[in-house]
Amino acid sequence: MEYQKAAELNGLCNGKIVTEYLCRNGFSELTVDAKKVAVQHKNETSRKEAEDESRLPALEEAYTTILRGLGENTDRQGLLKTPLRAAKAMQFLTKGYHETIYDVLNDAIFDEDHEELVIVKDIDMFSLCEHHLVPFFGKVHIGYLPSKKVVGLSKLASILLLILFIAVQERLTKQIAMAISEALQPVGVAVVIEAAHMCMVMRGVQKMNSRTVTSAMLGAFREDPKAREEFLALTKSA
Amino acid sequence: MERSKQKQMNESENEADSAINGHFDGRVKIPGWSAGGAAGTPSTAPSSSVMESWREERTRSLEDNEMSLPSIAAAYTTILRGLGEDPQRQGLLKTPWRAATAMQFFTKGYQEKIIDVLNDAIFDEDHDEMVIVKDIDMFSMCEHHLVPIFGRVHIGYLPNKRVLGLSKLARIVEIYSRRLQVQERLTKQIAVAITEALQPAGVGVVVEATHMCMVMRGVQKMNSKTVTSTMLGVFREDPKTRDEFLTLIRS
Repeated sequence: MEYQKAAELNGLCNGKIVTEYLCRNGFSELTVDAKKVAVQHKNETSRKEAEDESRLPALEEAYTTILRGLGENTDRQGLLKTPLRAAKAMQFLTKGYHETIYDVLNDAIFDEDHEELVIVKDIDMFSLCEHHLVPFFGKVHIGYLPSKKVVGLSKLASILLLILFIAVQERLTKQIAMAISEALQPVGVAVVIEAAHMCMVMRGVQKMNSRTVTSAMLGAFREDPKAREEFLALTKSA
Repeated sequence: MERSKQKQMNESENEADSAINGHFDGRVKIPGWSAGGAAGTPSTAPSSSVMESWREERTRSLEDNEMSLPSIAAAYTTILRGLGEDPQRQGLLKTPWRAATAMQFFTKGYQEKIIDVLNDAIFDEDHDEMVIVKDIDMFSMCEHHLVPIFGRVHIGYLPNKRVLGLSKLARIVEIYSRRLQVQERLTKQIAVAITEALQPAGVGVVVEATHMCMVMRGVQKMNSKTVTSTMLGVFREDPKTRDEFLTLIRS
């Protein structure tokens, strides 16, 4: 049952992508869905902190199996508590399942008569690659065109707390964009993620300096090339 | 000698213990070589514990890898479930296998022995100036959190009639770094391996790395780097040599 919740959380976005493509305006259907989504999110956190504690022994055992399978001696001093530490680290890196956009943003939305681009750039991000369970990290640039409502700036960065889960970079970009558009209903949202994937750097092709860049443009940023250009120009400058 | 024999006997039971990461007593000697230095029978010859660690048995083979893959993959499935994910969804279907193979790759240093890598590439050369190979990219796994460490290694040595093929220095780094490691130990192991192979007048190793366990969790300091160094022989005793080495790796 819990698995379904997690799958929905991750799959929820995919359903929305479809509706979004179909929708000219970009947000009219989503505003209707937003309330439904809010209720859904509040009821369906797929992990709570108490559950984390109770799951720890199983995770520890799994890590001990992995260490033994790799040929290590789990009784040596440096590895004695490693299964516990690794399990806790993994739980930390996936605690985005706990959080909802409403927890992060809810209080810090203000009415402001500002209609120009607002950008928060160079936000450091980390996530776990869904295919190899190895970290990928980089920078996120977020920009939005407010429609009478602005959000506290650090809240844009706190959105990064939401994304601590097992992810695929393309989907992650979209999820961030969707989260902001749901909460603020702005005229447009643009998100660019530039990341280095350890699964490419440390193994496989082993290309040290390669970066993967993905972007999500919603609303005015998708329709108006000038807005998009302005965003990209401003996030490029050093 | 007696003590080291006893240690051998104790260690043959706990072979995995010292052989894997080469726990040293902290003594570093340049042992007398037996002529030829062939890959002989390591465990029967009386030798210092430092020698034993250098000539350690491979603790893992390709067959071991294949045999343990299913259990590691099953462990990863448990982990995914324990984190609240659904291992049956499309993106995660083969993830346990990929993650297990990736983890085996990140610890492939256990499959290799220094002696295989080095044996042919030691040459007699009448060169007694410093040789430095710097900016060797290094990737390792933190043994406490199982999270990556990456950075650079700079190695310098003062040869004493014998030089080493340059890429072999990078291979030594690979063997020791592709393991569950602690940065201090990694630095020391690289330095000791070079010392034992070449008996140079001195060796200096500097490792500069970023620890994801500090960057992604815990204190979350993005830009911090950890620097450790090991100076042996002339590098330890003579400050001018050390200075030269440190300046040259900075430039």
